[in-house]
Amino acid sequence: MIEKMDTLLQRICVDGRLAKLAVSETGFIFDPQTGQSFTLNQTGLLALDLLKRGNSLEMTAQYMSDEYEVTMDVASSSLEAFLYQLGRYL
Amino acid sequence: MNNNHKVSVWEPPFIQPHRVGAINKFGNRGAKENVMREIFGVSIDDLVDQFGSPVFVTSEHQLRMNVRKIRRVFERRYNQVIHGWSYKTNYTGAICRILHQEGSWAEVVSAFEYEKARSLGVPGNRIIFNGPHKSKAILERAIAEGAYLQADHMDELKMIEQIASEQDRIVKIGIRINFDTGFTEPWSRFGFNLESGQANEAVKRISMSPHVRLTGLHSHIGTFIMEPRAYGEQVKTMCRFMRDLDDIDHINIDTLDIGGGFPSKNALQRVYLPPDQAVPDINEYADAVCDALVEETRYLEQSGRALPRLIIESGRAIVDDAQVLITSVVGTKRLPDGRRAAILDAGTNLLFTSYWYNHQVQMTREPGGVYEDTVLYGPLCMNIDVVRQSIQMPPLVYGDRLVVSPVGAYNNTQWLQFIEYRPNVVLVHEDTNVSVIRRAENLAVMNAQDEMPAHLSYRTMADEGSLPSGKTTREHLIRR
Amino acid sequence: MGMEPRIVQDWRRWNVAVTGVNAHVESPGPGCAVARCLRECADFKGTVIGLGYDVLDAGLYARDYCHGGYLVPYPSAGKEVLLERILQIHEIERLDAIIPCLDAEIQNFIAIKGELARLGIRMLLPNRMQFLLRAKDHLGAFCQSVDVLAPESRTITNPAFFETCEAEGWEYPFVVKGIFYDAGIAHTAAEARLIFNRLVNTWGYPVLVQKLIRGDEFNLSAIGDGKGGLHGAVMMRKRGLTEKGKAWAGVTVVDKDILEMASKLVKGLSWCGPLEVEVMKGHDGKIYLIEINPRFPAWIYLSHAAGRNLPVALIRTLAGETDLQLPEARSGTFFIRYAQEIIVELPQFESMMIDGGIPSVETLLNAS
Repeated sequence: MIEKMDTLLQRICVDGRLAKLAVSETGFIFDPQTGQSFTLNQTGLLALDLLKRGNSLEMTAQYMSDEYEVTMDVASSSLEAFLYQLGRYL
Repeated sequence: MNNNHKVSVWEPPFIQPHRVGAINKFGNRGAKENVMREIFGVSIDDLVDQFGSPVFVTSEHQLRMNVRKIRRVFERRYNQVIHGWSYKTNYTGAICRILHQEGSWAEVVSAFEYEKARSLGVPGNRIIFNGPHKSKAILERAIAEGAYLQADHMDELKMIEQIASEQDRIVKIGIRINFDTGFTEPWSRFGFNLESGQANEAVKRISMSPHVRLTGLHSHIGTFIMEPRAYGEQVKTMCRFMRDLDDIDHINIDTLDIGGGFPSKNALQRVYLPPDQAVPDINEYADAVCDALVEETRYLEQSGRALPRLIIESGRAIVDDAQVLITSVVGTKRLPDGRRAAILDAGTNLLFTSYWYNHQVQMTREPGGVYEDTVLYGPLCMNIDVVRQSIQMPPLVYGDRLVVSPVGAYNNTQWLQFIEYRPNVVLVHEDTNVSVIRRAENLAVMNAQDEMPAHLSYRTMADEGSLPSGKTTREHLIRR
Repeated sequence: MGMEPRIVQDWRRWNVAVTGVNAHVESPGPGCAVARCLRECADFKGTVIGLGYDVLDAGLYARDYCHGGYLVPYPSAGKEVLLERILQIHEIERLDAIIPCLDAEIQNFIAIKGELARLGIRMLLPNRMQFLLRAKDHLGAFCQSVDVLAPESRTITNPAFFETCEAEGWEYPFVVKGIFYDAGIAHTAAEARLIFNRLVNTWGYPVLVQKLIRGDEFNLSAIGDGKGGLHGAVMMRKRGLTEKGKAWAGVTVVDKDILEMASKLVKGLSWCGPLEVEVMKGHDGKIYLIEINPRFPAWIYLSHAAGRNLPVALIRTLAGETDLQLPEARSGTFFIRYAQEIIVELPQFESMMIDGGIPSVETLLNAS
């Protein structure tokens, strides 16, 4: 049932789905393909920005762990959950 | 207003889809200056450090102020007012004691409550005994001790009569009556119905008895009544019945007990406006009651006769805002539908009233981050253990202490001993010293009522050596 | 907030906030119509700010009516939060007056009236007592006291009533009403329960039942001066009804009986502020009071068209004018309500979503 992490990443990041999102620095997101809008929290905004720039999951997690002073474990597991969430909406 | 600046609080990354209908970031937000660091003049952290979490915190000062106020607003309008403290609302001993010091009688509805009132030193003649279940044994004691009984049904009347004749005395009693005020759904299951003639039947029955004398009328129209005019109608109906009894049956009623049911400033679920606006001031109730009472008893005054005394049995309006519950966050999560959720160490086991109120929940530290719709769950492994279905809260973290209020009415009595131990209840004295008024439960308390039949009395399955036969547990049991 | 009160005497330059700017096709709030009355008054040069409860409230973006728009907390959130939010908006917009347009919010505004007045923000509102006397659950008793006919009604909290009501003289069909808004005609107990549940889910307890009067519906809007006087009455007969019984067409009329009844009510209440009186002219020729709403109605634009712009009269009253000298309302002026779309660009939607508002200065800059 649950999509594998790398295929998920492939689908939403590499295939350009993520790139098409209109992301505002306020955390407001608009998906031009579905007409759906979203709000991101601060960490979500940072994560999305890093992923959009083509960073790997690990690099993104590392950056977040440094920025927010949380362990790498915490950062990468919550990042995975975030990615699954994106996968549901995109 | 932008969320632009960095929030240093770590929160897992999250994306919230916008759903059509009621999107409004200001919609349900609580007021900002809502952080509570102390309660009733005592530091919340100190309270938790000393008495643990969760903990019920009661204010002696507030309790005294409340009961004085309610008595004052009624006494200003009518001469003879008795306040009967409704034990079932909160029968913690210290709370009852404070109210008795303030002059309140005890209003009890069971053998246990009667015995409790007596054990607190309340004399029988300052106890109002209501309720549909009064056993013969407790009625015998109450009658012997001169308690004021208000009868609920015909079988009880018969029993009172029988006891009175056995004790060879004349017992003055009241009867509970019920009727439609036009403003509230009638509580027809208690007492004798007026419209159908049951009440008259009860009167007839009493007047035939040489041992029982009817001197009082009691009615209680409901609970959390937000319509003061309902009480006006209630008093009118009771007074007119009293007058009929006087005119037709020559029965002199000297006591009118209008029960309780006055609301507190709690937010009843499914009432749209907040309690500040939805709940009328106690003065409006006193006006409705006393205006009707004065008007309808003018005939007595004009003929120079004594006016009946008025009993009010208010519980909630006196104790609700005199107590809060401090609880701690033991976990947080995101629900699949995107809402935030927090698990607290107190749930419906302690806050039975969360089933019908949206209690106020306040932070005890400066909130950081964005307010969002949050569900507050209790600690029970039970789906319906929800303290608040929906409340705007900032991100909560493990260990956050929250203040739930008001909780003084019906929680220390309706709480469940289910899954968890019940916690300390403390009292903040008028000098802000704090003492425990009900100790937290522990294993010894829980086990104290257990009895173990002899054949189950070995301690564990592992204690095989102690089995009488020396065989294994399983064989032992099968053999038996 | 250490803001100096800004006292502008000339109402023509006021910044006026108007609530209830939702414009749902079935049942629009009065806010947009009130805003339109202000904007279409040739003398009025101030700004109008829409206060809404949902990002899809059209008035927040409808620049012909409102220069700017802000989201405010739901009435159920209470007065403290409302005050907090109004102060935030006041800091940006420097408000001179607010015209609340929704029943459910009036009590909150009454509660913060004093604080707002100290900041120079004016409102023409009844006091709490006047407001409660006309509430649906008190109306019957009040009507009796001023000798006005009203259909019998009662409050209920238990839907079991619908099964036993016929024995108590409540024969179907009758009207089931929410404490603030919404109503339906129930022909059977099952229908009544459906309406009851819908009302409770939105507006909570209690719910009212009211006996059905058959006849023609007339509405009157006016301003009460708080001393018993009624000013600027405009009367309307509904000519077309939506499925929900809302007017989608109507025409101004002049009926002295209805005016007389409204005057009696305003006098009895010493009503202060705008109001709408809904009456039914029964087939028996008598006039029954159905409701008194504590605000302007959604059809208030008709007052402007008929020559008596009531929202403007209201802010002139707030500015201290006592002799308004309003012209007579012309009878025979029709309105037909129709729906049309306004266009919202993504950045505007985003501002409303994220910041909860769009300042009027953006509109003013774009215009210049």
